[in-house]
Amino acid sequence: MTREQRLASTFVELADSLVDDFDVVELMTLLTERSIELLDASAAGLVLVDPFGALRMVAATSEATEAVELFQIQNAEGPCHDCCRTGAPVNVPVLDARRDRWPSFVPVALDAGFQAAHAVPLRLRGDVLGALNLFRSEAVALTTSDLSTAQALADVATITLVQSRATEDARIVRDQLQQALNSRVIIEQAKGVLAERLGCGVEEAFVRLRRHARSNGRRLSEVAREVSEGRLTV
Amino acid sequence: MRRRPVNGPAERLRRIAGVVQALGEPDPLPGLCRATVPVLAVSGAGLMMSAGEAPAVHACWGEVSGYLQELQRATGQGPCRDAHDSGRPVSEPDLGRLDPDRWPGFAAPARQAGVLAIFSFPMRVGAVRLGALTVHRSRPGGLSDEQDWDARMIAGIAATAILRFQAGAPAGTVGRELTSLVDHDAVVHQATGMASAQLEVPLAEASVRLRAHAFATGIPLTDVARDIVARRLRLDR
Repeated sequence: MTREQRLASTFVELADSLVDDFDVVELMTLLTERSIELLDASAAGLVLVDPFGALRMVAATSEATEAVELFQIQNAEGPCHDCCRTGAPVNVPVLDARRDRWPSFVPVALDAGFQAAHAVPLRLRGDVLGALNLFRSEAVALTTSDLSTAQALADVATITLVQSRATEDARIVRDQLQQALNSRVIIEQAKGVLAERLGCGVEEAFVRLRRHARSNGRRLSEVAREVSEGRLTV
Repeated sequence: MRRRPVNGPAERLRRIAGVVQALGEPDPLPGLCRATVPVLAVSGAGLMMSAGEAPAVHACWGEVSGYLQELQRATGQGPCRDAHDSGRPVSEPDLGRLDPDRWPGFAAPARQAGVLAIFSFPMRVGAVRLGALTVHRSRPGGLSDEQDWDARMIAGIAATAILRFQAGAPAGTVGRELTSLVDHDAVVHQATGMASAQLEVPLAEASVRLRAHAFATGIPLTDVARDIVARRLRLDR
């Protein structure tokens, strides 16, 4: 298979996993694994910018990568950190030559066996959502073609994130609706329970329920539930 | 695999334009069901949604459709639940030839009510499931590819609309356009509460008793509920 074919099949694989309930971390892990295969890298990691602007590691292909990524985040230096801050790709074929730029990161990366490091941004319009970080055990640069492949993979990660956030929003609204419908049903049921116990009409029962909730500073649905379950007399 | 319909998106949108228009009505969900009937050439349409722990709520168009939703809720069987649980459409184009093991409590009463074909489409936005749209026919026969595509699209429109109606609602309340989901069944919930107090049984059991009475007597559930609330009827212990 050519790289284009492998890239295409990776996209199909990722698109398939987007259809149903999906786990973002699982997908990001899959993406880092595919990116090392496609780009002949030794390791890859994915870092996201949280709502407060701090970086969070979400996926790494090995323990060593995880340690290097966490080091970048904690010390606020390194290719991934720079990429997230500037939104521009970082391509460092010889890490050893960048000790001036990243004095504490370079020794740690070299120690982990990485000679070259690259990062491409996860960009959405003007925002940088995070970065895909690649490490190589040999000192080689990313070619233009490598870079565009890496960027395509980062773009897929961006789409996944946007999709997962939209899904999360929809889920929240759905859950709120179900809860509100549930409360309404419980209140109607409690009207019936109370009407029967007090020998009054459902309207009168509702007035009593509401009065009890108000004078005790409690939620109507809570009072209704307790009345229905026989735990409260109004 | 289904073939794509020959007509383009513009033609499809024209066909379902009435469905989209119905969303502007004061009570949009029954409106959407009504507008769906001619588009899919079916006898009735209904949609059912989960209401947390409470029994599912529904909106529908056509008397039989209301009965079908009720029957599905009472038996816990039927295409709606299957479509919602699996996230995939369910199609039974001939209830007369249904495997007897499929929906044993639902199929016979549905046929007796004159339902010979039934189809359910999950209402979902992305991975978020809301319930299902169910349509039926009084004659056997499957949906055409075109109708199948339209039905999927209508179910998606319904799901998106429901979330949009709810999105602006204050916390703890049901969106204004969605209140009929509970309101038209309010008397049933009240009767459930009364029966629970009368029979000294939990609400879930009272709900079963109420529905059992309706099915046994052939009186519509809402009428049974009204009689209980008006104290014209008391269920036996």
